[in-house]
Amino acid sequence: MAKTYDYLFKLLLIGDSGVGKTCVLFRFSEDAFNSTFISTIGIDFKIRTIELDGKKIKLQIWDTAGQERFRTITTAYYRGAMGIMLVYDITNQKSFENIRNWIRNIEEHASQDVEKMVLGNKCDMNDRRQVSEDKGKQLAIEYGIKFMETSAKNSINVENAFFTLARDIKAKMDRKLESSSPSGKSGGQKLVKEEKPSDKRRWRCVIL
Amino acid sequence: MGEFTSGGGIDHWVVPNDRQLALRARLGTGWSVHTHKLQTFHKNQQLSVEEQEQILNVIRRAERLELMEQERIGRLVERLENMKKNAIGSGDSQCVLCGDTFGMLGASPTYCEDCGKAVCTKCGVDTFNSHHQPLWLCKICSEKRELWKRSGAWFFKGLPRYIMPKKKTELDKVPGRGGHPGQGQRSRTGSPAPQYNTWTRGRVQYGESTDEQESSESSDDEINISKRKVRRQQDSESESEMSTTSDFRPWASRGSMGTVESDSVSIASSGRPNPLMASRPLSDSKTSLDSGQLPSSGQGTGQGSLPSEGPRVQESQDSTVSDSERSATSGVGSFSRGNSLQSADTGSIKEKHEEEADIDDAFTKYGKHEGEDEDQLSSPESDVSLGTLEFSLMYDSMGNALHCTLIRARNLKALKAMDSNGLSDPYVKLHLLPGASKSTKLRSRTIHKTLNPEWNETLTYHGVIEEDLQRKTLRLSVLDEDAFGYDFIGETRVPLKCLKPHQLKNFNVYLDRQMPLEKDDDLVAHERGKILVSLTYKASKQSLLVGIVRCVQLAPMDSNGFSDPYVKVYLKPDKEKKSKQKTTVKKKTLNPEYNEEFLYEIPKHELAQKTLELTVWDKDIGRHSDYIGGVQLGITAKGTRLKHWFETLKYPDKKHEYWHILSADVVPDSP
Repeated sequence: MAKTYDYLFKLLLIGDSGVGKTCVLFRFSEDAFNSTFISTIGIDFKIRTIELDGKKIKLQIWDTAGQERFRTITTAYYRGAMGIMLVYDITNQKSFENIRNWIRNIEEHASQDVEKMVLGNKCDMNDRRQVSEDKGKQLAIEYGIKFMETSAKNSINVENAFFTLARDIKAKMDRKLESSSPSGKSGGQKLVKEEKPSDKRRWRCVIL
Repeated sequence: MGEFTSGGGIDHWVVPNDRQLALRARLGTGWSVHTHKLQTFHKNQQLSVEEQEQILNVIRRAERLELMEQERIGRLVERLENMKKNAIGSGDSQCVLCGDTFGMLGASPTYCEDCGKAVCTKCGVDTFNSHHQPLWLCKICSEKRELWKRSGAWFFKGLPRYIMPKKKTELDKVPGRGGHPGQGQRSRTGSPAPQYNTWTRGRVQYGESTDEQESSESSDDEINISKRKVRRQQDSESESEMSTTSDFRPWASRGSMGTVESDSVSIASSGRPNPLMASRPLSDSKTSLDSGQLPSSGQGTGQGSLPSEGPRVQESQDSTVSDSERSATSGVGSFSRGNSLQSADTGSIKEKHEEEADIDDAFTKYGKHEGEDEDQLSSPESDVSLGTLEFSLMYDSMGNALHCTLIRARNLKALKAMDSNGLSDPYVKLHLLPGASKSTKLRSRTIHKTLNPEWNETLTYHGVIEEDLQRKTLRLSVLDEDAFGYDFIGETRVPLKCLKPHQLKNFNVYLDRQMPLEKDDDLVAHERGKILVSLTYKASKQSLLVGIVRCVQLAPMDSNGFSDPYVKVYLKPDKEKKSKQKTTVKKKTLNPEYNEEFLYEIPKHELAQKTLELTVWDKDIGRHSDYIGGVQLGITAKGTRLKHWFETLKYPDKKHEYWHILSADVVPDSP
């Protein structure tokens, strides 16, 4: 056992190709930056253990390829994610507009309870900015999710963003466990059971 | 794949292709070019081999992590289970955990928020919920909540898959044995002497195989082990000499020069692959002592000194006792017996010579029998010996089959009602635990009127995948057939993880008394069975051939303990649901064999985006079918399922056959 930890949170980075998902992750996991563009092939992940309220939290952060052709693979990782970072590039209007598509994608493929957050990356390149910070904020408010402008290159807000997301997930977890009183265990199994009867009913209708 | 193309004009593939098409149209080139272009377009969209390789690497890395995580959760689950086991109170007038009675004099009870049972102040935990309201929980429920958080179950609405610590299977045995420290001593006289020596070795190896596991656990055992390790180091002089050879020639290395001062050579801690040699004492004094002890006290020494530690201590102590009996099935085995007898009888110098000769012998034999391995475990703690059972196990990882050859049993003694003639009609029943009892049951024939039956019979489990080796335990119970049912004589359990693929392993063990099964109930509930599926992509016909070969160990759905299973095959997404097919129904079985094939005509690039859903159902007349379990193969699957799918696409025109575990979680779109 290398490191012990209390919780394991699985996070996911999505967004258009070239917005800097891999760089953000690289900054967070290795505290380094590389300006050459290497397109991610399919998927990748990095690990970093952080501490929140005295609890060690291991973050397994999945980095996805923005390219369309990997979409089938990348969407497969939505379901397991507890938190998703939507990343766009402030110097690329298109990537910002696509955030809506990405959110639709999340709604379709990810778990309902997933925590989301929008990052406007490359905020060091103010001279080439195409998306104002206010626009980003507005979008975030519209969807009721948190927003931050980051720069992987200058290490702005990267740490902050991941910690915020992790904290939100942890808070959700604590809340969830308080509300789901007697033994969450049976609660989980019940859900499965509840689904089945509905299936059966549907089936019966077909027959009659 | 097309979901995004409209929104993002960034797609590299559609746009140039469209333009090209337009160009072609203007140039007046024929359709043939068009279709050709279309195909290359699809080819480009598929992943190259290197890309696939790279993705698979990431997936493998993730799986390793997943495995660690599963083990971690397993430990947490075990912790909780241990806590539950140790709870002794009723929860009404007593504290659930410690069993303290509440009343006038005692402490007043508080009630756990979660389970509502009464807890004393010592066994409760005072916490706050997220709204900072005080919350009183019993330790079990607070641990449960913690498990719920730590495992991620809170998010996934159910405990994710986990692997119980390997030690658990062993613990299954240990409490049963170690729990009655007095028994062993009594059994000194009760059991025949020679066998004592055989089991010690087996026990040692048995312990050893889980050694790595144990040392990572912070249990009581660890102390014991580490002690032994220290002792081992005292032997380091001889140890170092042989260290070079020992890995390859475990027989020789121990035998020739090792363990001269055979002070309870603590093999179990050494982590060596083969402890057999070490169980032979070499020094004069020890030898005579041991041989003197042989007939009477064999294991008594161990038990007497530290009864609470039970089998563990015995291992180290008894490893000095030379072995005299072993199964004669393998050449290696018989060699070792002869050798050890020698060592017990002769003086050390002469003995060494002889042994060296024997070692040469052993080399050759070991070489020949490389694939064989021997293990002997036993349980001498019971008051009266229940007898011994000799059998061998071989796992065939190619055919996914576990072969269990039952050789013989000796000196069987039924505890309760024996037949009036003082003899039994013994047979052996096998179960794979955890699992539904009827689906994994195999039985040998009955040998009538004997206490020393010889079966020489091989029983085979099909569909045992390598994953099962890590999780499952083979339970062999010897039963006495009766006119009305049976009497239980004894049982033994072998964790399958001690097997190596394609290596025959021989066992000669003492039988235990019946052990409770209920601990596995939780797991049993999740076992749905397995399915053997063959997939072939026929490139020439552009079609996928799905073969449903067989299912094993299906969960019983009907009151008779069986199911009437059939398999539904569905290639989704498929709006018209034309791809839905099903096999015939096999009546009253949990291990149906179908050998049915279904053909789907579909181009490869389309197939890559589909998911093959296989669901197994129990046919009930007049009612809707019961869902047993299912499996989904596709790009979104994991593990073997993904591998199977990948290989099918990657290597067309080849039949790919794999076992898949049926899961109750795969919820079919509609039945």
